Amino acid sequence: MLSVLSQRISQWIVPGVQAGFVRSLTNKKSPYQIKAHNKHWNPKFRKLRGLKVIKVDLPNFHENESWKPSEMSGEEIRSKMKEKGIQPVRNWQEKPLELSCTGDIVEPYIPPEGDGKASIISTDFPKQKIIRLEKKSRSMWAARKIRQFDEEFDPYNFATQEATSIYIKMHEAMMTKDEYKIGTYVTEKALLEIMENLDCKTIRWKFMESIEPTRVVHIRVIDVISKDNIFAQITCRLHTKQSLGIYDRFGRLLYGNELTPKDVLEYVVFERHLSNLYGSWRIHGKIIPSWKGVGFEFQPIRTVAVTEQKSL
Amino acid sequence: MSATSMMNRHWPRVLHRFYQLDRVPTLSSIHVHPISTTAKLETKGREGMNTQGPQGWPLYNKQVYPPTEPGEKPRPAFICHMKVNVKYSPLKLWYVACLVRGMQIDEAIRQVEYIKKKGANIVRETLIEARELAVQKHNVEFRSNLWVAESFTGKGIVIKGVRKHARGRIGAVHYRYAHYFVRLEEGSPPDHYYTPKPDGPQMLLDWIKERRELKIEGSY
Repeated sequence: MLSVLSQRISQWIVPGVQAGFVRSLTNKKSPYQIKAHNKHWNPKFRKLRGLKVIKVDLPNFHENESWKPSEMSGEEIRSKMKEKGIQPVRNWQEKPLELSCTGDIVEPYIPPEGDGKASIISTDFPKQKIIRLEKKSRSMWAARKIRQFDEEFDPYNFATQEATSIYIKMHEAMMTKDEYKIGTYVTEKALLEIMENLDCKTIRWKFMESIEPTRVVHIRVIDVISKDNIFAQITCRLHTKQSLGIYDRFGRLLYGNELTPKDVLEYVVFERHLSNLYGSWRIHGKIIPSWKGVGFEFQPIRTVAVTEQKSL
Repeated sequence: MSATSMMNRHWPRVLHRFYQLDRVPTLSSIHVHPISTTAKLETKGREGMNTQGPQGWPLYNKQVYPPTEPGEKPRPAFICHMKVNVKYSPLKLWYVACLVRGMQIDEAIRQVEYIKKKGANIVRETLIEARELAVQKHNVEFRSNLWVAESFTGKGIVIKGVRKHARGRIGAVHYRYAHYFVRLEEGSPPDHYYTPKPDGPQMLLDWIKERRELKIEGSY
């Protein structure tokens, strides 16, 4: 038994081959290596032996990871495509395009600083004058333009009746994450941003009440490509009480708190395609004032080190 | 459900998500059905978009769990990541995949660096990518608070070549490709990934228990 075992072990130790000094322990290339056991003992006929195997071009599925088309010149891209036998891309497309919303907020409204922060009894309140819409000539002109298409349009009615209800319905649809349903209350441009942000999250939102009645603050009208194709954008000021809880993919609280409602002051932009007979008012975006900081900083909940409380 | 079939689903009035991220918002947002009728030089897509090979594994990352109730224990985060169609034998890669199982992520990355195999590099890169993804996309707070819950390989495509033998004989040569799948879970690794072999005292107790359970058939 022992002799058989020793025979087997001795097979592993090939005479004449020694382990070389291994300087580096990593699998990166090193100048000292263990001698290979997979080499033929006679190097004389290596070339002929190599000819036995018929070479095959093996695809490399990971070669494009190192490519950066933005940094590659046109010549390089063309040569690479020629290598692969790909024909150049055709630029023109023969597909009908439907413009149903604009790509951005036109002449965004600049909210006054400190809006909504001063209480009625404070000394700051009278200083923060609420500029009425009638005083804003451009907005009134735009409202008249809207009335050409929609005779019953009235900024006051729109704000109090339609704006808040669209806002609430949009949030309730957002909780369901139904893209088509959200799309009825929201323009395509905003829809993309919403769906991107909703990815892998659960939202629980509740509308408590309106602290102040919704007001129309800004109206603008824009024509896209042709003079007849008109879009209208209305910015509404909403001061509401809401509770929001955002949970991540695993059901852990990421942001907010469902139990504590908060006062929310927002400037929401509604858009409508006036030239379109079936156009409806939909949320197009929100205005984040420059004095608020650089955009909205989404700070997820993080663990904080618990310091020992000193006994009194 | 492949990535391409997801893209072709008919959403009438909506710009497809896959196409919007690279676009700069212009004056007009255009309705366009997703089109890729012409071939393009393929570049690394978002999250290493993979159109060939296994599609199911990263779909686990899209699974959304309902919020935990106040009494429930918080659910640990997990991340499924893979590296597909690597030119390496899956059977050889399996050895490295086995090594890494049940290890803490930093320990796994460190250990795998010293394995003299081509597969070690593959595993190492995948683990590093997975750890980054965990922090950036899956709300994992501490990048070291992860351990390797699952690590396994799959067979990729096999391209068959040919080699000559003596006396006009021909032999087949298999150029194998492998897939490597890994799942990282948040938390500290378990003490034993596999049920351990019982030690001496435990074996004795088991034996005693066994002997005590012996019964004569038909007796009370």
